[in-house]
Amino acid sequence: MKVAWLPVSIREGLRCAYSPRPTVFNSPMRRCVLSTSSNQFSTSTRLRAGIAAPEIQFKEEGDGRDGEGKIFYARLLPESPSYFTAQPAFTDDLLALQDLVRKYSRLPVVKPSEAPRVAWRSLAEYRNMVGESVKASKYHKVVEVLRRLNLIHPSLIPHDVTKALNEYKRDVNPFQNVPKIIPVDEFGRACAIGRRKTSSAKVYVVEGNGEVLVNGKTLAEAFGRIHDRESAIWALKATDRIDKYNVFALTRGGGTTGQAEAVTLAVGKALLAHEPALKPALRRAGCITRDPRRVERKKPGHVKARKMPAWVKR
Amino acid sequence: MILRNVAIRHSRKALAAPIPKSLLRTLTTEALAEERSSIEHSIANHTKETHSIEANLNQLQLTKSFHPPRETAESKAGVQRDYALRNHIKKRTSRLGSRIPPHYEPSDILTDPPRPEDVTLELLMASQAHFGHSTSLWNPMNQRYIYGVRSGIHIISLEATAAHLRRAAKVVEGVAYHGGLILFVGTRKGQDKAVVKAAKMAQGCHLFERWIPGTITNGDQILGNCAMRVVDAKDEPLRGFEQKIGEWKALRPDLVVVLNPRENYVLLHECGLNNIPTIGVIDTDADPTWVTYPIPANDDSLRCIQVIAGVLGRAGEAGQKRRLEDAENGIVTWLPSPGLGKPKDMEEAEKEKEEGGGVVAKARIVEDESEEVQSRRRRGPVDPEDGEDDF
Repeated sequence: MKVAWLPVSIREGLRCAYSPRPTVFNSPMRRCVLSTSSNQFSTSTRLRAGIAAPEIQFKEEGDGRDGEGKIFYARLLPESPSYFTAQPAFTDDLLALQDLVRKYSRLPVVKPSEAPRVAWRSLAEYRNMVGESVKASKYHKVVEVLRRLNLIHPSLIPHDVTKALNEYKRDVNPFQNVPKIIPVDEFGRACAIGRRKTSSAKVYVVEGNGEVLVNGKTLAEAFGRIHDRESAIWALKATDRIDKYNVFALTRGGGTTGQAEAVTLAVGKALLAHEPALKPALRRAGCITRDPRRVERKKPGHVKARKMPAWVKR
Repeated sequence: MILRNVAIRHSRKALAAPIPKSLLRTLTTEALAEERSSIEHSIANHTKETHSIEANLNQLQLTKSFHPPRETAESKAGVQRDYALRNHIKKRTSRLGSRIPPHYEPSDILTDPPRPEDVTLELLMASQAHFGHSTSLWNPMNQRYIYGVRSGIHIISLEATAAHLRRAAKVVEGVAYHGGLILFVGTRKGQDKAVVKAAKMAQGCHLFERWIPGTITNGDQILGNCAMRVVDAKDEPLRGFEQKIGEWKALRPDLVVVLNPRENYVLLHECGLNNIPTIGVIDTDADPTWVTYPIPANDDSLRCIQVIAGVLGRAGEAGQKRRLEDAENGIVTWLPSPGLGKPKDMEEAEKEKEEGGGVVAKARIVEDESEEVQSRRRRGPVDPEDGEDDF
């Protein structure tokens, strides 16, 4: 143990080189320290003074029957080498992922457009997972590494990469949620549902000669306003197919405007089942977009949703 | 939303006219796969028609809905097979051909860093450790490390570098041997790998991003949530300290190695306040008094930094190895963290034994004694750096 070159400052820095607390100094300890470190710390007056404290030995001898006063060696260490970054979980995650990238950098990759689409955990979710307030820019680094790992060819992706990726995937994958394809059944009907405001409409579209029935009534009986009649079959009108299809619609809820425009959406979707090529035309005509606007809720302190009470002087 | 005037405005009616089914068929992938030959035939026959179709399609923006055929399972298997074949060929032919003499491989410094014994002036020279800064940026404090001036920059004396590097390696080894906690810091771009590798070898901590000011002086606030563990002489984890760990103060490093001291003044200042020794790479524009053990070298060269971090990491590795060997032989080179005591169950067992020791009076006496001892202790050792929390 040629450690005599250790200068004073480091000796002091070493938390365990001396201890002002007398509890740990009992007889075997003293032997240990004297035998091992009398050379190391040539000027360790404090150490000797600490050891020589008589009260401690009394105490230890008094109740030290059970363990023979044997010193119990235990010291504290940080759980992770990233302890002093103050975000050890995040830093360890990032390093582990970077290690994976380095390890599998030679595996064949697919083009970014062909990689499986994955929704990674959002920043808030990740913060909950690790319990640290990670900055968005730092989490972005993690996501970039994940994207690189996701590019590895799906037939060759190693097990540990899959495992690591699964940890960062959102619990529900939104990209698995594909819209249902509306079929044309054996009678030539395409059935679609459309919604607007609080109304909903179920519509059957068949090839025909332009008959329209809404809840068993003709278009003129069902909708009093001409505007509503026009918007109900707007999908057919915009594509110039009023005389080529028959429409049978069942509407529920809401008012006339809502019902008429719910029928628009449903007819547009059903028409797409017959003629998929009409999609751009219908998109431009606004017939396959769900209008998400609803009645805005009334707020406390307001007369309506936004209207404030009139100002009164007092 | 319904756009009523769109059709009128853009006269889209013409576009919306029904498209012949033969045209639509060319758009679907099924048709492409199944009836490729017939379609090709028809295309060959009606080139002119095809051009008009393309023009029509481009106008319609229908190409958006057209997806090229995806990779099939067969091509997936092909990639797998090709990769296996590549590995096979590589394995079989790697021993063939000319023998490559030893050469410089940039990643070698990271994967197999040099040991303190391997530090030579040639190595330091090759890793550009001797380049200082422009003479106008000189800090006269490190005059004694400077060999001379050449083309406007200071040249650091590599003998001084080697000597200081070896001394620092011994310091790191000694701290590791005595169970100290070593922190490696390199916050410049590109230093992270070297820092992490060195910390891994020395079983210390690493920091390659910004030092959060107050991590030492205000550690309880900043490191309050970071987990700790308790280990015994052979570095085996110990149980039964959960409650004590929860109440324990934040840890402090016992030695800090800074690879870019100029950017980390706050860290060095905190270390100075808390009497924590520091090792730093001092370039010709840095102040060597900021650190306890300066290593005069070029801190702008990543290669030089990797060599220095590697040497210090190897030194830490050697110290840890020696400590564990001694622990196997029953020699423990460190003292327990003051106040940590024994695990919970052991302490409880001792307490029970004490209480159940028979005569109540004796127990009382013992209690009185212990109180006395405690009060004496409180008055006892007068040390300016004393304290339960100070280690």
